[in-house]
Amino acid sequence: MSTLILEGLSKNYGEVEALIGVDLNVGDGEFIVLVGPSGCGKSTLLRCIAGLEKQSAGDIRIDDRSITGVQTRDRNVAMVFQSYALFPHLTVAENIAFGLRIRRTDKSVIEERVAHAAGLLGLGELTGRYPRELSGGQRQRVAMGRAIVRDPVLFLFDEPLSNLDAKLRVQMRTEMKALRQRLGITSIYVTHDQDEAMTLADRIVVMNNGRIEQIGTPMELYDAPVNLFVAGFMGSPPMNFIELHRKGGNSGAQLETASGQPVPLPERGLSPGVRSVVLGVRPEGLRIDDGGPLKGTVEVVEPKGSETQVFVRLDDLHLLCVTAGKRATFQPGDPVGIAFDATESHLFDTDSGQKITTEKGTAA
Amino acid sequence: MDDRYVILVGRWVVLTLGVFWSAFPIFMVVSSSFKTHLDIFAVPPKFIFQPTFDNYVLLFREWPQFLDGLVNSMIITVGATVLTAITSLLAGYAYSRFHSRLLTLSAFFMILVRMLPPIVVTIPLFPAVNAMGLSDTHAILILLYAAFFVSLATWILKTFIDQIPRELEEAAEVEGSSVWQRLVRVVLPLSVHGMVAACVFVVVFAWNEYVFALIFTSNEAKTAPLILAEISGAIEGVQWGILFAAASVQLLPILAFVLLVQKFIVTGITAGAVKG
Ligand SMILES: Nc1ncnc2c1ncn2[C@@H]1O[C@H](COP(=O)(O)OP(=O)(O)O)[C@@H](O)[C@H]1O
Ligand SMILES: [Mg+2]
Repeated sequence: MSTLILEGLSKNYGEVEALIGVDLNVGDGEFIVLVGPSGCGKSTLLRCIAGLEKQSAGDIRIDDRSITGVQTRDRNVAMVFQSYALFPHLTVAENIAFGLRIRRTDKSVIEERVAHAAGLLGLGELTGRYPRELSGGQRQRVAMGRAIVRDPVLFLFDEPLSNLDAKLRVQMRTEMKALRQRLGITSIYVTHDQDEAMTLADRIVVMNNGRIEQIGTPMELYDAPVNLFVAGFMGSPPMNFIELHRKGGNSGAQLETASGQPVPLPERGLSPGVRSVVLGVRPEGLRIDDGGPLKGTVEVVEPKGSETQVFVRLDDLHLLCVTAGKRATFQPGDPVGIAFDATESHLFDTDSGQKITTEKGTAA
Repeated sequence: MDDRYVILVGRWVVLTLGVFWSAFPIFMVVSSSFKTHLDIFAVPPKFIFQPTFDNYVLLFREWPQFLDGLVNSMIITVGATVLTAITSLLAGYAYSRFHSRLLTLSAFFMILVRMLPPIVVTIPLFPAVNAMGLSDTHAILILLYAAFFVSLATWILKTFIDQIPRELEEAAEVEGSSVWQRLVRVVLPLSVHGMVAACVFVVVFAWNEYVFALIFTSNEAKTAPLILAEISGAIEGVQWGILFAAASVQLLPILAFVLLVQKFIVTGITAGAVKG
């Protein structure tokens, strides 16, 4: 059981800045999921925590003791690699027992713990097999077994499910969640799959270009993204963005789309200098309503079973995704109006991408 | 005629000739060692004869030093092989995992030295070896034979270690192992094929070597090939039966060894050509 603190963590590979001033506090037993596009520094962050890379600046503390000078093998963290990194010359049981053997644990203790871990992961029958004789899902479990068998202070997972096919991934995700509730060990879990992130995380950390964009619970990130990047990254289908320009004088300003459709928004205390903003609304915040202020044409209709996604062409630049009811009967080519809920919309600064806030708090 | 058929037949003819070419002398030596003096020189050669063990009995009665020579050869071969295996595993690991100008330079130097005729590099060592009291010891031949093969063995092992994913070692490191534990528990077992392939060269060379053994030993550390030469050069005339018996004893262990590890040799030599 332990806490983890990252303070101003930076890592350069020559010219490449893989991590830039990362600050993060992870509470005891907390399950943190790190998401972000490929190359944003997720693996680098894990490798720095494990000690496989040495950070260029900043500090890493476990239970409030700096581990910056501590060698990887003495950090007592466990890591599950994307490739699983199982030892091909060792059986399942030997793979799981590897760390215990290195620590010269009692033979009887090893046997007992390996049997327990194998049982927990449904590997009971397979302990005598070699990795090459296992399926992808089984290998993944062995890698998990190797991590959980020896009471690490911290779990690090680097996209552990990304090599599995979609169906197995969903199944393993559920198992992961059960396991995580059972073990309750402080964990950092990297994924680029935001469904995985939403399902598993106590808190999600969104990274981009080596920096943390936002930290929060899944619902916080979904409901109150602090910038365009987070807003666009979390949620599937993604949030709709509409660029709006200010027309007329500074007071009583009117916002309208590029094609000149006026968009009525309640007074938000937009600072007078702002000429353009980005309006963000999730598909479920939009409604097809002929009285709505935005006019467009239905382009694609995708029934999803429980709901229907309707894609509406607003103008050359904007194709909006609208969540409609289960039995929606729109046809491509239908002219429709779109209404949106002001309470579910977000405004972002076009240049900085940051959320625009007013005196009353968050806009929208 | 079908081209493929010609190639197939041609291949078999070449293979048969090759096997015959290399196996026939061995067959003659071994079969002659079980023949009486008369049978050995019978013309045409006898392929069916009454086998006798007299030559072997005579060999160990009249040349007891041959047994000492075999023991010396065994010690030196095993010593040189183990030394080569250890040093080339370490060097191969270093060349595979670390990169620096100094390492590149040393690799170049190692190959350069190997290009020179061994005798040219070795003879000047003689006074130094004498001064250190190493002449006529097992140690000097072990060192020499290992030195001849570390470059080749290192190269073979580097190729093997290059193919072991780094993540395996990183996983072992996270699991708590030191660099030595990783070498022994991960790198060594995964490069054992390369190790055996590299060792075959040393074993065969060390077991058969004559010139350096002649230069650097005089009495205590004499190897089997030296005694074999003495048998064939005995003043009272060559006893061919004994010579064939000695040659057979000298030949068989190495033959058995090579046949035993042939599977490893093939994968070892082709490593790097195909990604495994
Ligand atoms: N060993 C390395 N040498 C040089 N650049 C690296 C190295 N490892 C990672 N990088 C760079 O650092 C950045 C972050 O990489 P990584 O942490 O692997 O991203 P992610 O895991 O989020 O996909 C990338 O731009 C990558 O090219
Ligand atoms: Mg990665």
